[in-house]
Amino acid sequence: MKFLSTIWQFLNRSFFRLGSPREFYKISNYVTPVFGLLFLVLTLIGSYNALFVAPADYQQGDSYRILFVHVPSAWLSLFIYIVMASAAAIGLIWRMKMAYIVAICSAPIGATFTAIALATGSLWGAPIWGTWWEWDARLTSELILLFIYFGVMALYYAFEERTTAERAMAVLAVVGIVIVPIIHYSVEWWSSLHQGATVFREGGPAMPPSMLKPLLYNALGFTFFYGYILFLRARNMVLDNERKSKWVQELVNKEHNKEAH
Amino acid sequence: MNSTFILFCRREWQLLFRNTANLVQPLCFFVIITLLFPFSLPLENELLSRIGGGVIWVSAVLAILMSLDAMFKADYNDGALEQWLMHPRSLPIAMLAKVFIHWVATGLLLTLFSPVLSMAFRIPTDQIWVLFIGLLLGTPSLSLIGAIGAALTVSLHRGGVLLAVIILPLYIPILIFGAGMITQSSLGASIDSQVYALIAILTLAITLTPFAIAGALRITIE
Amino acid sequence: MIDSQKAKEVLLQAQELACTRGDRRLFESLEFSLSEAECLHVIGSNGSGKTSLLRIIAGINHPTKGRITWSGKPVLNNHSSDTEFLANLAYLGHKDGLKNELTSVENLSFYRRLENTFDPNQIDRDLAQMGILEHADISVGKLSFGQRRRLAFARLLRSEFKLWILDEPFTGVDAEGRELIEQICLEHLATSGAIILTNHQSLEGSSLAPHLSELRL
Repeated sequence: MKFLSTIWQFLNRSFFRLGSPREFYKISNYVTPVFGLLFLVLTLIGSYNALFVAPADYQQGDSYRILFVHVPSAWLSLFIYIVMASAAAIGLIWRMKMAYIVAICSAPIGATFTAIALATGSLWGAPIWGTWWEWDARLTSELILLFIYFGVMALYYAFEERTTAERAMAVLAVVGIVIVPIIHYSVEWWSSLHQGATVFREGGPAMPPSMLKPLLYNALGFTFFYGYILFLRARNMVLDNERKSKWVQELVNKEHNKEAH
Repeated sequence: MNSTFILFCRREWQLLFRNTANLVQPLCFFVIITLLFPFSLPLENELLSRIGGGVIWVSAVLAILMSLDAMFKADYNDGALEQWLMHPRSLPIAMLAKVFIHWVATGLLLTLFSPVLSMAFRIPTDQIWVLFIGLLLGTPSLSLIGAIGAALTVSLHRGGVLLAVIILPLYIPILIFGAGMITQSSLGASIDSQVYALIAILTLAITLTPFAIAGALRITIE
Repeated sequence: MIDSQKAKEVLLQAQELACTRGDRRLFESLEFSLSEAECLHVIGSNGSGKTSLLRIIAGINHPTKGRITWSGKPVLNNHSSDTEFLANLAYLGHKDGLKNELTSVENLSFYRRLENTFDPNQIDRDLAQMGILEHADISVGKLSFGQRRRLAFARLLRSEFKLWILDEPFTGVDAEGRELIEQICLEHLATSGAIILTNHQSLEGSSLAPHLSELRL
């Protein structure tokens, strides 16, 4: 029991340590390059395997290889939304500055991955289905997700007062997470009404390990890419938001002195 | 007779008839939007009767969307919202009452008027009922979810377009189930599942959105 | 005489209050207390955060830091659930919360019903006290600014409100109206109420002067 409570205390402390912009900035000095490196290594391994090791599909030939970008992007578009909404909720509950920064920095990255998933999907669909766009459940709900991301960003940038903007954005992000599953299921249900579920099935359940491995590598690599970009953006935003504070001023002075030498 | 809900309903009801524009405009907008479709489509009665239900649903969504911007604007401008914010009475309940009367003035009115338009579109009688029930169950959710957006944008000078951008994606499930009912019934299939889905969404909306609306107002009114 | 000898209870206390707007620090480590029958005049130049301070006390805005106690009990950080504190509070800002479309009586009745003190005769008396009884059934949109202000003050005439928070109460009212408002403020103070107000002019010469204390931002 004592062991558990020490762990709990440690987690608690590190959670609130990360909540302070200054501590976050310190930690991010080390974490950011690690994320960048992991992204690079994993994606390189994944892409090499995807392009040269994995066999060509017996039906689709080489064109199926876009899957190694498409699927991780689609997965991340949802994952980032969950991260964004959770951060927003944490921000609203504990009034934590860093949580808002994580949420607002995630939005454009999530929107980009959603757009990539849509674009690669339609590039893939063009030769295989013979159409760029189908009113399919997955495509449609992904498109709606893109608009929800846009809404969250638009709301944030509409306010002059930053604290108001952060909290308003957070409310919308949290409301969104209630509605995203509803949208997903309603759309799935709606389009299966019109057409048979023959058009698009997820990659096929039986996937040989030689295909699955690069997919997982890429998915993990992309996730670290998200983490990397998120930390870069969050670092910028922390410096900008806290530009009047002492520690940022000290940091700036240090940099100046370095340049002077 | 002093419950927060009833007090606010009475007040909103009183205000509604002092400023009848709020009552008439959404309805006019609804009818006009609906009438745009026959003008822009080939004049085939069969086509109109097939798309009529969807057209009426889209018009209802747009009419409610247009009315949202004004939902909290007047109370924001004259300071009434500030007074409620610092009042011991429950803000979520008060806002629920406000949205309820707003729905009566927009959603319910449109729903009551929809059979007339349905007849203009030559929708079969049994489907007119389906459309009516769908609107009756769907429009309150539209008002409730829309009120969150209205509360988030109340302090912005030009919040109208932003309101549409943040709220319309959230309206899609209701539109799908509501309009889906008509398609289903035209195929002769049962509409039970859509009715249950709309009721489920409405239940969820009534219980959760008042808190979101109140929270949003506390944030944006600073 | 007996009243003045009784020790005056401290109603409101603020500790370490701070408020920032964007990058601007409006005020920091602000401390003050307010006792019964005391009128606190918040003084500061434009943009010094007077209105923000008043709205923070009323629970409309959130302070960046600090806490407020009411009768010795801390006011919850989230004012909204602190009904005991809020029931003692009346805030009158630049906006008065009156509806143009409703008449004076209807406006007042709504607020009185909300506060569970609805009494039609009392409303008539309050309107008469503020000298606007003849406008009782005219919609508020047709009242002049000064009359409107009087109606807003008629809303405060309730013993349950121990603390009045008034933002620039004298702007836009004529000399007679000002006298009237000062009069009801005095009566409020006499029944051991308290007032926090801002005013761009000094209140030295006014009838409130004996009760006045100043807070400079």
